[in-house]
Amino acid sequence: MLRKKLMAMLGAIVVLSMMMTACATPTPERIVETVVVKETVETVKEVEVEVVKTVEKVVEKTVEVMVTPEAEEGALPRNETLYFNGQQWGAVVGWNPYSSSNNNAMMGTGGDSHRATMFETPYLYNMLDGQQYPLLADGPWSWNADMTEITFKFKAAAKWSDGTPVTAEDFAYTWDTHLKYNTGVGAGNKEYIDDIVAVDDKTVVIKAKLDENGKTINPLLVSAFVSSNIVIQKAWTQKLEERTGGDETKLKADPAEDVVYSGPYHKFFADDTKVVFIRDDNYWGQDKSMWGKLPVPKYLAHVIFKDNAAGSVALAKGEVDVSQQFNSNIQLLWESYGLPISTYLPEPPYGIGASLPTAFYNLKSYGLDQIAVRKAIAIAVDYPTIIANAMTNQSATFDQVPRSLMNPTPGEQAMYNHDAVKDLQWAGNDIEGAKALLDAAGIKDTDGDGWREYNGKKLSYIATCPNGWSDWQAAIEVVAAAGKKIGIDITTNYPEWSVYQTVVTKSDAPLPEGYDIFMMWSAGAGPTMPWGRIRNMMSSEWVGMASNWSGNWGQYVNPRADELIKAIPGETDAAKLKEMYTELVKIYLTDIPSFTLMYRPQSFHAVNETVWTNFPHQDDGSKPPVPPLDCTDGWGIACLYNITLVNP
Amino acid sequence: MKHTLQQVFRSGKFIFGFSILVAILLIVIIYPLVIPDPPLAIIAQGTFFEPGIYVNVYDSIIAPKYTLNLEGAAAKRIASRLNSDDRLAMKEWLVAVGIPEDEIDIEDTALLLELWETHFDPKTQIAGMTNARRNYYIRLNASLEGLLATEAAIIAVKNPTTGALEEKSVVAQSDFVNANKVANVRLLPLGTDNFGRDVLTELIAAARVSLQIGFVAGIIATSIGLTLGLLAGYIGGIVDDIIMFFTNLFTVIPGLVLLILISFSIGQERRGATTIAIVIGLTSWYWTTRAVRAQVISLRNRDHVNLSKLSGHSIVHIILNDILPYIASYVVMAMILQISSAILAEAGLSILGLGPRTTEVPTLGLMMNWAMIYYAHTLGKWWAYIPVLVTIALITFSMNLMNTGLDQVFNPALRD
Repeated sequence: MLRKKLMAMLGAIVVLSMMMTACATPTPERIVETVVVKETVETVKEVEVEVVKTVEKVVEKTVEVMVTPEAEEGALPRNETLYFNGQQWGAVVGWNPYSSSNNNAMMGTGGDSHRATMFETPYLYNMLDGQQYPLLADGPWSWNADMTEITFKFKAAAKWSDGTPVTAEDFAYTWDTHLKYNTGVGAGNKEYIDDIVAVDDKTVVIKAKLDENGKTINPLLVSAFVSSNIVIQKAWTQKLEERTGGDETKLKADPAEDVVYSGPYHKFFADDTKVVFIRDDNYWGQDKSMWGKLPVPKYLAHVIFKDNAAGSVALAKGEVDVSQQFNSNIQLLWESYGLPISTYLPEPPYGIGASLPTAFYNLKSYGLDQIAVRKAIAIAVDYPTIIANAMTNQSATFDQVPRSLMNPTPGEQAMYNHDAVKDLQWAGNDIEGAKALLDAAGIKDTDGDGWREYNGKKLSYIATCPNGWSDWQAAIEVVAAAGKKIGIDITTNYPEWSVYQTVVTKSDAPLPEGYDIFMMWSAGAGPTMPWGRIRNMMSSEWVGMASNWSGNWGQYVNPRADELIKAIPGETDAAKLKEMYTELVKIYLTDIPSFTLMYRPQSFHAVNETVWTNFPHQDDGSKPPVPPLDCTDGWGIACLYNITLVNP
Repeated sequence: MKHTLQQVFRSGKFIFGFSILVAILLIVIIYPLVIPDPPLAIIAQGTFFEPGIYVNVYDSIIAPKYTLNLEGAAAKRIASRLNSDDRLAMKEWLVAVGIPEDEIDIEDTALLLELWETHFDPKTQIAGMTNARRNYYIRLNASLEGLLATEAAIIAVKNPTTGALEEKSVVAQSDFVNANKVANVRLLPLGTDNFGRDVLTELIAAARVSLQIGFVAGIIATSIGLTLGLLAGYIGGIVDDIIMFFTNLFTVIPGLVLLILISFSIGQERRGATTIAIVIGLTSWYWTTRAVRAQVISLRNRDHVNLSKLSGHSIVHIILNDILPYIASYVVMAMILQISSAILAEAGLSILGLGPRTTEVPTLGLMMNWAMIYYAHTLGKWWAYIPVLVTIALITFSMNLMNTGLDQVFNPALRD
């Protein structure tokens, strides 16, 4: 009897402990969507605190297993609905413009190419010509004579969804609220912006923070503020403050279903299968002073797909009109299957490269403090294979756009002197050159095991990127293969993103073992570029930060580079700027703290023209040019006013 | 023993299954000796090259030329660049720009091209035409260039000092090379995968690793199952209770779930092929235990066992000499099943991304996993995954067939 009882108890304990182990180990989700995470970060890169939360949010969501819903024909009229994929992953959490954890991609709450569907910025940035076009604002903004204040006016026609006009006071109050509740926007800009004041009903003055000499600390970031930060209604904000009792956490956690907005779309329906926005037919932008008409689609619908593959199938079937995800081998959809699918450019690289996914060296790893080792690995890598295989040619090659710190857009390419750094720009695959370099530095195979030693210790590294980020993994494999060819033992390892992100972004201590060569992103296109990207890649201000979502994760320090990065925002002479940028590129390509593996578009913009047509494409004749940003981002939203039905 | 083997090899099913398995084993062993290429070497720049013979273009220019005057060569050449759909599409365009329909004869290539060349302009705006369609016409137009040319192509090299092009050789339309005379010809019977690796070489290496995983896992599972089953069945009592308690516990927990949890928690850096094999072995022994125990219980009171006990033999001696031989045939059969299910389990785990560390060794499951990540199935790149499926199916099919064959031999009730 006693034995039986003992057995039963033992059984209960074992079962319980097993259940607890099972709970502690989350069921993994295989494919983590790479694109969204990176894009999200790029668009909000100036706002460090916000970035952290956005990224965590997106990744958390990918752990949830989502069911691919059936396309609901009949639920929404197909001829009035524009379908998207690749932006929203997981269910929407909220509609609160002060929160950074809404997981509401289609709503958009700021960034260089702000998604102006629901909330609007004074200006819209156009990545194709680098200009900021007035949206809520009336005419261009201007600096005062000593460049310490920016002034602009709001349009007379600009109205909130409740019919009241958008005023300068709204903008000023939005800023005050960001500061008061320490949001990402507040924390990221308070070093540069002193105050925002409403001069009269419609006129706003942004006062920049000044340095000890009375000069604006960072004019670039101040001028970028007007196109990357949304205006939120003062009356609604006060309502929100009232109901949350001025509590910071509560204010940020409010789902804000009652939010007042100025944009052309708002919530129609949202659950864990899809998000639908409906047009506000009283949208102020139909006034002649802005668009002169309403955007064409009545609904913007985003079905929430399980992974890229499911989204790709939906695009091919015509259930998705605008695709913002990595569709590998997208050209086969039209070449082999004759589907009415097109991209911004008809030939490779199909899109316009805006960011530089880059492999960073851990400069504290054994031997990686030697420029010879860093350079040898970087010049031995087979970049054409990375671009052809990992990216399926959806990136410009390094023959077309030689490496620097600039993205492939003509505007940025013109900002440095190509001839001056020509000798430093390697094309890759230079196995003999790499071997010679190492031999010359005395890093040779002394014990005959086939691997080189530095000071008697074998050079062996782990190259890494997050698990499931397929194009990055494929790229990292090519990097590892290059090491083997030059006698440096590089193996690969792919930790889960949740682990990877915490390790890589901790810059206040040396990176742990296993992170010798690791991949991260760079900033995309924006009004502060290429300066902002270079700052992220090279500035030592990030070293020592406990949570560093900006860049320089390999912890590179170069005082001259810091000096140049600090000086550029205040420099207005174009020739001098070019000189400074050229010097930075020179330093970067000489020291090689990291090396770019591919170019990547700001958005993967692929469209299926079964229902809608007249999407932006190269030479489409639009003036100003509409950028290929999924008909939603920055000046790209102009696309919504241009598209037409294939069969009206 | 000899008699048993003779009997076994008289079973048609067993022989069929056995020969498939031996054939696979032989291929796996011999192929790498004949073609020693590293299975994970990235040879192709680009993804999913179709199966076929790849002839080096540069070398074929230098290779000796043979003139073959084949009938229909020109027609074939034209058809390869302009099919009937393209002709219809050209007509559609021409009609749209105002050419009367009866003036267009899509069968007359020369006439059609002439009309096309005079009227096609990529900038023309045609009402209702999508950008995708416009891109199609631009591609079509580019492919039509020189379609009807009969003159030879000229191969020129750049003079390194002047930079001018100098004629080096002439390629006439009737020139052929003998593929055997071209220095570099690569046969890719199953094309390449998303990394640009030779699928056949990778597949064979993967089959080998998967078989190894299967054997290791099968042996581990069978030995644990056999030992516990023998002990539980023969000794009985509290030993039986304890062993059966754990066995039952494992039976009710779905094996795959346990497998997934363990693989996930050991982390990718430690997930090698052997680790995975051990994990699979450790989670699949329980049904062998149950079956062996049942058999042993029916054996332990037989006369020869009692006789052995009376003779004072030790438990180990009795188990090894008086019990094991009677269940040996069953154990072999069980092991075959364990091996085949371990191969399937590895494939299942790898498809979930929890298999052995990516790209250190190829396994069948990893090949499936990457083919899926790069949409081979939706893009119609069958060579990246169907051969893998067929291989898995063949291995498990052959083993199950052997098992059925053995069953018929050893189980008198099933003999015909």
